[in-house]
Amino acid sequence: MKSNRQTKPRARKDGLIVHRLPDEVLVYDLDRDRAHCLNETAAFVWQKCDGRKSTSEIAQALGKTTNTQVDEKIVWLAIDQLDRNHLLAVTPPRPSAIGNMNRREVIRALGVAAAVTIPVVASIVAPTPAQAATCLPNGATCSTGPQCCSGFCNPPGVCGNAP
Amino acid sequence: MATALSHSWRDSKADSTNPQLNQTKWATSPELSPTDFDVVTPLLYDSGAAGLGWWRIRDTQLSDTPSGELLHQAFRLLTLQARIHEQQIQRIFRVLRAGNIEPILIKGWSVARRYPQIGLRPFGDIDLLIRPQQHLQAAWIAENEQLCDCSTDLHPGIFELVDRPVEDLFARSRLVACDDEPVRILSDEDQFALSAVHFLKHAAWRPLWLCDLALFLESMSAEFDWDLCLGNDPRRANWILSAVGLARDLLGASICNKRINRLAVSPGWLVETVLRNWETPFARKHEPHNHAAPILSYLRRPRGLLKDLKCRWPNPILATVTVNGTFGSRQRRRYQFRNCLQRGAGLIRAAAEPA
Repeated sequence: MKSNRQTKPRARKDGLIVHRLPDEVLVYDLDRDRAHCLNETAAFVWQKCDGRKSTSEIAQALGKTTNTQVDEKIVWLAIDQLDRNHLLAVTPPRPSAIGNMNRREVIRALGVAAAVTIPVVASIVAPTPAQAATCLPNGATCSTGPQCCSGFCNPPGVCGNAP
Repeated sequence: MATALSHSWRDSKADSTNPQLNQTKWATSPELSPTDFDVVTPLLYDSGAAGLGWWRIRDTQLSDTPSGELLHQAFRLLTLQARIHEQQIQRIFRVLRAGNIEPILIKGWSVARRYPQIGLRPFGDIDLLIRPQQHLQAAWIAENEQLCDCSTDLHPGIFELVDRPVEDLFARSRLVACDDEPVRILSDEDQFALSAVHFLKHAAWRPLWLCDLALFLESMSAEFDWDLCLGNDPRRANWILSAVGLARDLLGASICNKRINRLAVSPGWLVETVLRNWETPFARKHEPHNHAAPILSYLRRPRGLLKDLKCRWPNPILATVTVNGTFGSRQRRRYQFRNCLQRGAGLIRAAAEPA
């Protein structure tokens, strides 16, 4: 359950399938049947959302990793997107300094020369790619045995188990 | 297709330490213009090779094109689908083991796990080899233990490995980790034989299957027992060697074993047929999915029979496998006619049987 009372963000764990790739993290939401792709910055923030670290601590950790000064707004930008995609169990209230700034405004405030990559949580939208299954299941019509998964094309031309 | 997929299975970083592989060839992008790439992308996408297509071009300028982005998205989706299937596989093994049934996972994940990334090789059904005496019990468990969502196919035997006893397959099988669950898979020798025969049994129309063999050839250990893989049936050995020849000649797979490299011959007609099939690498264009209706139904309603008969003229690769022929350089007509005769005889038998 989401709660705005806590000030430290916590990542959602349940109902998600997570796969790490070298430069991004893929997440599948089993409850909503939605797939997401987190770039390195968003993935870093999400990973640090353990319910114990504040956003400023996460910004510091990100700065340490990238060896740069990281504005806390970067973390808030990530949290905002993680929250909108239902990837947080606990979302802290936005500080007034951030207020209702949208993503574009935050990016503008940070300037084009931000030292770290802007966090991005993108939905994966693509037609379902083909799988590799080929043979016919039992009950399907067939002409020869090898066409059937079972290897048996029984009279009158129906895939089935060994006669 | 062959150009787009050549060496697509390789992990460039890991392979840079392998002197056997032709690194110069890998380091360059596939010899495809952006226009050619746009043409081949739908073929890759619809034939299950979208992930491999992405992997092949990921470090080239083609990755920035709309087609490249489409393949990248497909790769991401396939990766997540594979992770979901992995959870299903673990569940199936846990449930069947609770019923004292030890299955062997064949095809699918057991092949996909060899690729540098799990999303490169999609798999749908979960095919399991079950000891014949346990098949009914396994089917009952699969039906009743909430495994219905897993698309499980239980096999008491495997057509592709019919030349070797099931118990021998179990004796040679091994356990590998699928996250926390040990999963039993075939030995490398049996899996390679299965993949090679399966590729030909389905008329070699899906390029991904040949990539499986190419990957296998380049990643097999020095202990790989080719005699065991080829088996005792000379015809089946010929099939496997023909598939090996195709992997080398069409996809550029390296074959370390000199004897096998010499024996692996893919006749010209076979290469031509495979390339022709790859022009339309979609299940619906190939047997048996291209049949309009069961042939017996035309006895009642003959309309459309001639058109459907045309689709049923057997592909020369399929004909060779179904009549237990060999992949030599001779014409295929005799096999194609024999295949038709076999099917005709089956049809007459079926029509004569009481309903």
